Amino acid sequence: MNSGESIESPIARRWFLQQCGMGLGAVALNHLLAPTASAQNLNPLAPKQPPFAPKAKNIIYLFMAGAPSQLELLDHKPELAKFDGTLPPASLIKEYRTGFIDPNSKLLGPKFNFAQHGQSGAWVSELMPHFANIVDDVTIVNSMVTDAFNHAPAQILMNTGSQQFGRPSLGSWTTYGLGTENQDLPAFVVFSSGSKGPSGGSANWSSGFLPTEHEGVLFRSTGDPVMYLSNPPGIDDIAQRDTLDTLSILNQQQASRVGDPQITSRINAFELAHRMQTSAPELMDIKNEPQHILDAYGAEPGGSSFANNCLLARRMVESGVRFVQLYHESWDQHGNLKGGLKNNCKDTDQACAALVTDLKQRGLLDDTLVMWGGEFGRTPMVQGDTNDGRDHHPNAFTMWMAGGGFKPGITWGQSDELGFNAVENPVHVRDLHATILNQLGFDHERFTHRFQGLDARLTGVEEANIVREIIA
Amino acid sequence: MEDRTALAKGIEMTVIRIGLLSSLFVMPWFASAQDMPNFTNDIWPILTQHCIKCHGERNQEGDLRLDSPQAIREGGEYGAIVEAGDPGDSTLFELVTSTDDERMPSKGDPLAPESIEILRQWIESGANFDGWQPEFTAIANASILQDHWAFTAPKRPALPASVTNPIDHFVTIKAEYNGLKLSKQADKLTLIRRLALDLTGLPPTPEEVDRILALPENSWYSTYVDELLASPHYGERWARHWLDAAQYADSDGFEKDKPRAVSAWRDWVINAFNNDMPYNQFIVEQIAGDLLPNATQDNRVATGFLRNSMINEEGGIHPEQFRMEAMFNRMDLIGRAMLGLTVGCAQCHDHKYDPLSHTDYYRMMAFINNSHEAQITVYTSEESNTRDDVLAAIHSLEESVGTKSRRVRKRRRAWEKSLLTQPRPEWEILDLTFDDSSAGGQRSLPQEDGSYLAQGYAPTRFDPKMLAVPKIRRITAVRLELLPDHNLPRGGPGRSIYGTAALAEIELRHAPIEREIREWGSWDKTIFESAIANVNPEEKKLGPEWPNKGEDKRVTGPISMAIDRKGDTAWTTDNGAGRRNQARDAIFTLKHPLELADGERIAINLSQKHGGWNSDDNQNYNIGRFRLSVTSADELPSEITPDTLVEALSTPEKDRSDEQNALIHRHWLTATPQQNELNIKLDETWARHPLGATQLVMMEQDKPRVTHRLDRGDYLSPEEVVNPGTPEFLHALDASAPTNRLTFAQWLASPDSPTTARTIVNRVWQQYFGTGIVATPSDFGIQGERPTHPELLDWLAIEFMENDWSLKQLHKRITESRTYQQSSQLTPEALERDPGNRYLARATRIRVEGEVVRDIALASSGLLNPKIGGPSVHPPAPDYLFVPPASYGPKVWKASDDTEKYRRALYTFRFRSVPYPVLQIFDTPAGNAPCTLRDRSNTPLQALATLNEPLFNECAAALGVRAIMHGGNTDASRIDYAFSSAVTRSPNTSETEALQEFLDKQRARIANGELDAAILVPAGDDLSERAAWALTARVILNLDETITRQ
Repeated sequence: MNSGESIESPIARRWFLQQCGMGLGAVALNHLLAPTASAQNLNPLAPKQPPFAPKAKNIIYLFMAGAPSQLELLDHKPELAKFDGTLPPASLIKEYRTGFIDPNSKLLGPKFNFAQHGQSGAWVSELMPHFANIVDDVTIVNSMVTDAFNHAPAQILMNTGSQQFGRPSLGSWTTYGLGTENQDLPAFVVFSSGSKGPSGGSANWSSGFLPTEHEGVLFRSTGDPVMYLSNPPGIDDIAQRDTLDTLSILNQQQASRVGDPQITSRINAFELAHRMQTSAPELMDIKNEPQHILDAYGAEPGGSSFANNCLLARRMVESGVRFVQLYHESWDQHGNLKGGLKNNCKDTDQACAALVTDLKQRGLLDDTLVMWGGEFGRTPMVQGDTNDGRDHHPNAFTMWMAGGGFKPGITWGQSDELGFNAVENPVHVRDLHATILNQLGFDHERFTHRFQGLDARLTGVEEANIVREIIA
Repeated sequence: MEDRTALAKGIEMTVIRIGLLSSLFVMPWFASAQDMPNFTNDIWPILTQHCIKCHGERNQEGDLRLDSPQAIREGGEYGAIVEAGDPGDSTLFELVTSTDDERMPSKGDPLAPESIEILRQWIESGANFDGWQPEFTAIANASILQDHWAFTAPKRPALPASVTNPIDHFVTIKAEYNGLKLSKQADKLTLIRRLALDLTGLPPTPEEVDRILALPENSWYSTYVDELLASPHYGERWARHWLDAAQYADSDGFEKDKPRAVSAWRDWVINAFNNDMPYNQFIVEQIAGDLLPNATQDNRVATGFLRNSMINEEGGIHPEQFRMEAMFNRMDLIGRAMLGLTVGCAQCHDHKYDPLSHTDYYRMMAFINNSHEAQITVYTSEESNTRDDVLAAIHSLEESVGTKSRRVRKRRRAWEKSLLTQPRPEWEILDLTFDDSSAGGQRSLPQEDGSYLAQGYAPTRFDPKMLAVPKIRRITAVRLELLPDHNLPRGGPGRSIYGTAALAEIELRHAPIEREIREWGSWDKTIFESAIANVNPEEKKLGPEWPNKGEDKRVTGPISMAIDRKGDTAWTTDNGAGRRNQARDAIFTLKHPLELADGERIAINLSQKHGGWNSDDNQNYNIGRFRLSVTSADELPSEITPDTLVEALSTPEKDRSDEQNALIHRHWLTATPQQNELNIKLDETWARHPLGATQLVMMEQDKPRVTHRLDRGDYLSPEEVVNPGTPEFLHALDASAPTNRLTFAQWLASPDSPTTARTIVNRVWQQYFGTGIVATPSDFGIQGERPTHPELLDWLAIEFMENDWSLKQLHKRITESRTYQQSSQLTPEALERDPGNRYLARATRIRVEGEVVRDIALASSGLLNPKIGGPSVHPPAPDYLFVPPASYGPKVWKASDDTEKYRRALYTFRFRSVPYPVLQIFDTPAGNAPCTLRDRSNTPLQALATLNEPLFNECAAALGVRAIMHGGNTDASRIDYAFSSAVTRSPNTSETEALQEFLDKQRARIANGELDAAILVPAGDDLSERAAWALTARVILNLDETITRQ
């Protein structure tokens, strides 16, 4: 077979002759790592400035999948206790739809005690003693409202602003708008812990119609953190480096020959991949964290837990990862409400509080937004025969935010006395999204991407309002 | 532009060329004051052509209208836009001359320089509105919708007689107009690889290349194109693009994301492409194949297109909500894949830009809204033959028993009489209330015949209790009818993967009406003494389809198992493939009649405990559709006699139809002990009946569903009823045809459709050139991009339709053009002039799609298993992805065996919630939405995959072995072999040197023990050499060029 494209530019030949004899050491690498202007323009993840001065640069989203019961955790409803065992007012459940229960089921009083904490006097359940210590750093919203009451559609809505699959997630919008600071690591990292995975799977961190570089990357806290990160068996780092060097020579020649800047991007991508092979495991290795930090989170080197993921989230943000999302799916207490919540809080409360405290101590909380919550709330009505369960409930639930310019030490919005409807200052998921984008430096109405003939945005076509009262 | 005179065009071309050369362009257009532009004659045409689509009656972007002098004076959200006398201070002028993303018009080309100059002069001269007439506003707004290029059918553009290749003609004109010259032809090897990758998605083998190179110079090209189009891999390649648009996947999506068997539809698509099925027929069959006269299995399978929507079986869902979600999705599929219109925008309200009303949307939906969510059994041709044999054998067995002899006739008459004398009690159908707490999240939808259809989540082990207040107050027996239903797997009557059901136990209790179901333990029990059913399979251990964790004592068998008060034993309706999907009845007789006291009600528990442990998988064994009745009769039948049989028997012998005779005969054969031997033979024959696979299809309901316009697209807010119809701005529907799905399908595929043919030719074009002639492949509406080559698009569409909608002919037309055969080499100048290659003065280098990345590695290493079609396969993937907490529920990913894992990536099983990682990393869509244009990202995760993923490394090892075996005796020749296997050209000297250096170094490191060959490659001879070559081949497979079509 004869040679294909025989034209070879003099530049390529010269470049090759210069580099090849040297076995491609540091010189070539430097050459490659200082990307040309056109290659830089091709990097969709290069850091970018938002249109307005941002309050938050990074987000850690603690997604409590399955939907925690606000009535046992943060929405204090003493009246509900009084009406325990009685039927809900007929007017309340008119046209109300449920997943599993007859809407006309008896009310179930809160199963745990609440007390006020901190200077702000926020009501917190006895299940969250660690959270009780950080309430003055936190904005609690007790009047969240969503449109969906099945897990997958509601999780997709919470992440993408729409119940319909195929739209970009908050994390993708964030990296689309801001790029990322650390090119050696993915811009949008996802962890998952708990007894199940997120409902709807990877659609929750999908880039939808945004460029696919903005898709979340699922990390694992044990084994290879990123898929295919380790060299194949038998290939040591020298062989890997040799491979990359030879690839670089050949790809560079091709780039000179055909003039396509995409090849330079690919050369860079291989180098980034190689750096990720080192940087990702280093970042994931928490054994050098001081003992008091490990203890604060309840993290264990080599382990795999929500606590470990919280500590990793801090390390990621510290290293310049833009968006970290932690799923903990175990909150779907149709039954075993008391036992399930106790366990879940044991698994998560300490680490959530430690994360906020740790970020604060490092000065990272100012521009890192930590957000916590599920996809909807749970019914004030009972599910099951043993007075120990609650069904899905979209009309009122709780989320909390810390840092990122949110107003610390306040509790915003109220549900009615039974915890059924958000009656004071309801915050729809769209409003929350608008507020978060605002903190990132974006006007949610103008932060758009052209798709299907529309300037599509995270907050969709319905009205969404920034909740000015909860941001500083 | 089209309306301008040739002279004006000529001037514009000159102007643009000058503009390109000089950024200081000023055109002294109006020389004197009396020539100053006039609003009505000069400005108004610019506004109507470029502005008022977004700033007119239909839309007021930025709160700005430009469709009347008054509106222009008022301005928009930025305030006044025209400052008379001062263009520099006029926002309007600022925006049309802006060079950043504020530039207006925001879409399409900027205003022509002379238009900008006219605007400038108009403002400078005082911005008066001379000659304006108020009716202009309405006329202009109305004409916008009429005028849109894509809403009138394509017309064959005029061509000068001298034109030999119209594609090249249109492309050359446009390129030259933009100051570009077409590139030289690519070299032969590049063309060979380009054609092979474009048409089959596989690289040419070295042998193939040698063969093609040996063909005569004047014919090799067309010979090769024909050869590739005739290859079965052509269908695989082009099916993949259609599967994207149709959002094909092998699982249901949402939380459960259960596997589904829909590969029959995928194979139908492959075959349709390979057979070059006319595209209009391709559309008709996919929308309404089931409604064609004498519809075949293939015709029905084709409708799987619309069933690629997701299915939500999460606990507690309302099935109608998600049926409507699926309907919305189907509208989107039709809009984006076939019509090239963003139909979905009108789901909640009138389309914001296109003249598609909210009502139009639901009128179109009304055509397709009358289908069952059906799943049918499908057979391969082999299975189909077996099935025919089995049915024929059964027929002849049945016929073999004569009724001629007097003795037999006498016996049969006696049997007939005994059946007719069976007691026929009156049954009261129970009106049931389902107890929510024990329903386990499953929904039971009441049907008109008093039965209930189980939908939504399918718990695998549960004790659903149903409450009733019967009118009769004395109950002697309960009847359970299990009914087939098209919405159940394989037509039911159960919900298992075979459409079968298992009943562990039936319980009947009674209690005062105020007693709650949660106090079940205190309800009064009854005892069933006996039970009969018309299917009584032998006792059998539960199959592996319903796995238990740990020891499993569960069995299924005859009806007695439903009243034996043992949870491990269950009555099953399953008597094997071929007979299991039909109605089944059981009658349960109480030991003591139940006398209900005043104020008492009953509850029935249909205990279903024979599902598998994993309710997030297809492991239920539930009842699908059923009806419960009670009777107070004391005389009860001793066997089940279906109504149809009784009717047949009641008909005088001479009046019976053939069907009735056959029915009686069949019952006679199976119901009498004298026929034991025959029945054994029949059972043996039935056992040979193939299982067949399943396919989700459209299937028309007998009773039409009523379609409403839904306020804001909310299924709970139905407004007025709408009748089927199509939007007025598109072509007319055949008024003489019946208003059904088939007519709608024919409308979609009509040659009068302004968008159907254009949409598909544009998408085909897009595959070849990276971007379509219309850059928004699924939006040909007003907000979509305008075509760069409108005449070319029309020419292609007309040619396509006139060539019997043949896609293969279209491929030939495109590939034989000089435009297609250009070199893809980029110069800095070309990159700057036309970075996106919209004017096609070169070929586009395209990083191949995820599937092709994999296929190139498999093919060039010789591992590829070229088998076409069949169930999807499970190549290796990290196990943790398929179990919690990465996946919601545990999924089965049984790694495929050695040959299956080397199948083309097209056949990789696609879980929507857990996309196959290698493909996902290379931008393969997950199937959650229609995709008509893939992204082409370039990321470190891709590098990690091709470097480190196990199957890629198997390919590298295999390519290394091939280089040793087939690549001659020298390193150089072997490098050449491996290199050209991957990229279809020989390496040049410096490339060979670089690879040789790498090879030498790895050899040395293997020899001195730094690398362990035994770990690098599978055991066998020549370990060290194979290892060194595996590493070298790995470099080659990771080249940019390997995964790029140049």
